Amino acid sequence: MRYILRVNMSDLAITKEDLPAKWERYGGRALTSAVVFEEVPPTSDPLGAENVLVIAPGLLSGTNTPNGGRLSIGAKSPLTGGIKESNAGGQAANGLGRLGIAAIIFSGKPADESARYMLTIEADGAASMSRVDEWAGEGNYETADAIKALRPEGDRCSTITNGPAGEAGFKAAGIAVSDMKGYPNRFAGRGGLGAVMGSKGLKAIVISDKDLSTPEHADKEAFSAAIKTFSAALKEHPVSGQGLPTYGTNVLTNILSEAGGLPTRNFSNGSFEGAEATSGERQREITLERGGNVQHGCHTGCVIQCSRYWVDKDGKYKTKGPEYETVWSFGANCGINDLDAIAELDRTCGDFGLDTIEMGATMGVYMDSGEIAFGDGAAALAALKSVFGEGKPGRVMGDGTEATGKAFNVEHIPVVKHQALPAYDPRSVQGMGVTYATTTMGADHTAGYTVTANILKVGGDIDPLKPEGQVELSRNLQIATAMLDALGLCIFVAFPVLDIPEAFTAIHEMAQAHTGDTWDVDALMQLGKETLVYERLFNERAGMGPEDDRLPAFFKNVELPPHNVTFQVSDADLDTVFDFVPEVAAGMGLA
Amino acid sequence: MKVDIALFASLSGFHTEAGDGHTRHYELAPGTTIADVIAMFGLPDQPRIVFVGGRHAEETSELHEGERLAIFPPVAGG
Repeated sequence: MRYILRVNMSDLAITKEDLPAKWERYGGRALTSAVVFEEVPPTSDPLGAENVLVIAPGLLSGTNTPNGGRLSIGAKSPLTGGIKESNAGGQAANGLGRLGIAAIIFSGKPADESARYMLTIEADGAASMSRVDEWAGEGNYETADAIKALRPEGDRCSTITNGPAGEAGFKAAGIAVSDMKGYPNRFAGRGGLGAVMGSKGLKAIVISDKDLSTPEHADKEAFSAAIKTFSAALKEHPVSGQGLPTYGTNVLTNILSEAGGLPTRNFSNGSFEGAEATSGERQREITLERGGNVQHGCHTGCVIQCSRYWVDKDGKYKTKGPEYETVWSFGANCGINDLDAIAELDRTCGDFGLDTIEMGATMGVYMDSGEIAFGDGAAALAALKSVFGEGKPGRVMGDGTEATGKAFNVEHIPVVKHQALPAYDPRSVQGMGVTYATTTMGADHTAGYTVTANILKVGGDIDPLKPEGQVELSRNLQIATAMLDALGLCIFVAFPVLDIPEAFTAIHEMAQAHTGDTWDVDALMQLGKETLVYERLFNERAGMGPEDDRLPAFFKNVELPPHNVTFQVSDADLDTVFDFVPEVAAGMGLA
Repeated sequence: MKVDIALFASLSGFHTEAGDGHTRHYELAPGTTIADVIAMFGLPDQPRIVFVGGRHAEETSELHEGERLAIFPPVAGG
């Protein structure tokens, strides 16, 4: 029986309760969104005592499900003002799954704003809170080291930590999760959840799973057979079996630039002359020359292994990846063609606890203002460090793209629901425009990754430059993604799942064999839809309407080179993406 | 006719002209198709993502003077 660990940060009470029957089929994003929907007043202050911070491993996390170790962190977002699920890799989901914890729910906030706390969950399930005031203001790497020094020899634990950006309440603050080596380099980056964690005085969570085995399965034999099929599909598909492990996520830089969809210099061009220098291919060459690691998983059970470590010229660890989105945000979007400069910006964001997508987009608008030049990596680093120091733009940068763009009178501010657009221009990858505009999360590429059929010819082939077919593509992918996030599956399993029918079948076979409940394709889609229903209804009640499901006007009015296209999907079509919500909501008793 | 050809990721080693980066200049006979180029390089028999001038192109298409052909193996990320 999975359970919920409740932590009241007002009085530091820690209680355990059985997972309610109504949520038995939920994990990950389904559970975080259900809890936020049920427990957070939609119009409440995201940094107030009424908000909760929910941390939930996927339904299959902790088992040997290949790529099943994703973690969902949920709350009302201080950035978007709506519901947020921010998804991270790293080891924490595996540990929580093995402990049998369905979710940790932090509520309330301490009266003393200077207090810092660490929640420790031992492998026997004992949970305790300790004061760590002396860690206030420390970076994620320093905090991870301090935790390591406290743990007994031979321990096996993961960490979830909050950097100074979250403690400062910045709307671009994310939450760090440790990887298999203990580096705090995997992020629930988006939506300012670090600020929610900071508002609760929570500096760190330590999860020990030393000597814990995987949870029991309802049908062990069937589960073993299903994971074998699933693992074979992940290894067989050329994307998950060859492309991602060899080149990592940054293999996308060249292809998006080639397709005219790589936002360059604050979304003013779709191709970047520095793509070659910042590509995944070049990244692999440099990393190998310096003796870095170019292929590992970010969590136990990952068979795709797209992670890598960037090392400096002396071969010393600098940061993970950097991943494609970060290489884009500080690279093409800022006109910077130097991977070392990008890695330094990535490391700084990682240590401060800032979302690299939001910060790269923020830097892009700051450069667009003319305060510093596009392409100037040193000036970008100085600007980033100004959030805690001297000079411009200062603290406003910590609140992200919209805040900074407005402060410096920038005309083109690329945000939806106040959250920055990621690494695909919606004019030349029109399906992504539908996802950015309509997802409950604010502009988010992972919410419905139409790059698959638009650019990569995975799971279909839909012209990225035209509006036809994009709404249906985005809707289906948004539902499927919510399902994957609920199960704790890495989004990259979608590539084989979209092309190999046995891989999709294996997902519900794993769910059924593990839980003993009946699962089939319809049930998986229902899980995705129910998740989205909670999120849409929460956002509606928080005051969002159709006008919030729109891209900024310049995407419709300003042509993007080299294809000289604008975003063509009509508002009326955007408003049909969530047509299924009323019926599903009624079925859930949430009319 | 002169055509720029770019081969990416695992295909980059199949260029027959020397040079840096992923792109080389080639002199091709008029009427050469993308499939002819794929055969000329001996690219592996697997799905490919093909662009001409930044737009998806069919492998049966003919190339023209001054065009840019880019070929990727199956890749993804994000």
